[in-house]
Amino acid sequence: MRAYEESSEEALRARDLLKDWAGEGLLTQAQYQRMEQETVCELRRTNVFLRLVLYLFTLIIVGAAAALFVEVFLSRPSEQETGLFLLVFAAISYGAAEFAVSRYRLYRYGIEEALATCSVGFLCAGLQATQPRGAEFPVPVAGAIASLWIWRRFGLPYAFPAAMIFVPWLAGYWTSSPAAEHLIVAAFYAVGLIAVAAVRSRHSVAEAFLWLGIYLAINLQLSPRNLLGNWWWGPRLTAEFSRPFYWTTWVLIWCLPPVVLARGVRLKDRWVIAVGAVAAILTLVTNKPYLGWPRHTWDPMLLGALLIAVALFLSRWLARGPSGIRHGFTARRLSGKDKQWMNAGAVGLGVLSAHSLTPSPQPDTPEFRPGGGDSGGGGASSDF
Amino acid sequence: MTIYTRLEQWKEQGVISPEQHALLAGLSRGEPFSLFLELNILLYAGIVAFVAGLGWTVTTWSQQLGDVLVLTVLSAMLAACFWYCFSRAPAWSRAEVPSPSLAFDYVLYLGSLTWSLELTYLENRFHLLSGQWDLYLWATAGLFFLLAYRFDNRFVLSLALSALAGWFGLTISHWQSHQDATYRQYAILYSVLIGGAGAILQRRGLKPHFLGTYLNIGANALFWAVLSGIFDRQDDVVWFPALLGACGASLAWGLARRQFSFVAYAAVYGYVGVSSILIRGMNGETAVLSYFVVTGVGMLVMLVLIARRFGREA
Repeated sequence: MRAYEESSEEALRARDLLKDWAGEGLLTQAQYQRMEQETVCELRRTNVFLRLVLYLFTLIIVGAAAALFVEVFLSRPSEQETGLFLLVFAAISYGAAEFAVSRYRLYRYGIEEALATCSVGFLCAGLQATQPRGAEFPVPVAGAIASLWIWRRFGLPYAFPAAMIFVPWLAGYWTSSPAAEHLIVAAFYAVGLIAVAAVRSRHSVAEAFLWLGIYLAINLQLSPRNLLGNWWWGPRLTAEFSRPFYWTTWVLIWCLPPVVLARGVRLKDRWVIAVGAVAAILTLVTNKPYLGWPRHTWDPMLLGALLIAVALFLSRWLARGPSGIRHGFTARRLSGKDKQWMNAGAVGLGVLSAHSLTPSPQPDTPEFRPGGGDSGGGGASSDF
Repeated sequence: MTIYTRLEQWKEQGVISPEQHALLAGLSRGEPFSLFLELNILLYAGIVAFVAGLGWTVTTWSQQLGDVLVLTVLSAMLAACFWYCFSRAPAWSRAEVPSPSLAFDYVLYLGSLTWSLELTYLENRFHLLSGQWDLYLWATAGLFFLLAYRFDNRFVLSLALSALAGWFGLTISHWQSHQDATYRQYAILYSVLIGGAGAILQRRGLKPHFLGTYLNIGANALFWAVLSGIFDRQDDVVWFPALLGACGASLAWGLARRQFSFVAYAAVYGYVGVSSILIRGMNGETAVLSYFVVTGVGMLVMLVLIARRFGREA
């Protein structure tokens, strides 16, 4: 089922580890060169920046080629005709992805990923165009199945959350009850979690996404419908759900983060730990709206202080263990990748804040008026 | 063959020592499991949330709290942060210096953000410099540069570069006849200035590892300015060669130093700029779509050649 042999992927993993260890000084250069020669494999990879750019240009080519084909060969096509051509393009894109992998042994190279992505996009768009109005049920089904297939076949981690995104769409066809929609989505993810957990050694990222999906499905304050509603009409939620359902989800959003965190810590799974932490923070952030309590200006300060306290407590607690290790965990940096991520974060922060700090043109006699206090504050004046 | 089997083989062949084998086998199994990155993210998110809440609270409740209380609290925080950093910092070195503790970098970051908040409060309440925000930004940038170099902190260096960018923007906004063209010129000046400064400091051995931050921010500012000139459709004679020059320089630097973010900048910004010029003169969707197919294939081939020649490793 996999497009790549397990031995090839193991060899790539070994190469990555060797490079990291050599960078951290755990291997001498001579040792690294000797060991690296024994991990050669036929798969072709490239670095992350070229991968992103190759992905982008492949998307441009495939999108433009499909549009050009329709433009040149179909004059005023009906929706059915366009849909059929899109389905043909889906097959061509998928075939091209398979060809790129089998012939050129591309692995996370951008090109085969973009082709696989296009195949799912064309498939959904083609089915959407060929189905009668109101009967588009096969679209999310096909999208989810195709994404799952690509996840399994090419091992692209982001194809799994892509498949998950189709599930809420699917639930909308079965029921008009918002509560039932949330339940169906959570049930789908729970079934997926049970299936994935059985073979989790290979699918840690998938398990993490499923936990996150379940959490987002049961946290009613984070449902797209509610977020959109808050944006347009202000807070309004409890009316559309029964009280028992509403308060059950409130209990669950407090129960789920510790469960996920505990599982992540027990399995030493970085992704599951991260999802547990994110879910815990989201619970703290959405608790007041859930209870109908007003937000205060100092709430972010309290949250920030809590996060800082947890981080400091954990780092000190771990550092006090023998050799800075407790229960197999350490706060020390063991991989050069951590440093690379932090450096990239600092650069990204600089690029983003440079844009946000550079002011727009001002009137001739500038009068700087930051703040305003109209976004909260319990009715306090904004005299800053 | 798994990494454990390989390590066992290498140990038996004498390539690695038994001690190395024990250490590397443990690391590949996640023993010990490092929470370094997670703790750093938690600290960063905590500082940002705390300062955001502080700013929001001060903005909303300043009248009720009173200037004395607000300034006392902010000054106390500022003093505590800087006291912590100056009292615990290792001796200064021109080279990269590891942080003495996990919290150290974030205490400095908190101090820097508190400084910005207090300065904003002071000017808004007392108009000490009569709204001359460019002077504040200039002073803030200077302070942040000093702190970044003293304590070897890239986050504060990014803040310094941002404050400097803000100073350039504000200075121009004071002029009577400021125009987009003037902004562009100053954005280019800013990019050249910080790129040149980063290069000079690197050549002098002064925190040479900061060069990447200077160049990445400078390159993005430069490309945005040049693209803005091209989108303005007035001086293509100037901006088109400028775009080609910037792309060439970025590509050459990226390939020479194996820093492929610069190759990506050259490819994406260059393609957007050149395409916007060429598409202007095209009539009909067929011509435009054909353009994207043909040039897209050309770019893809070029990038694959670059990837095969220079960028094999992930």
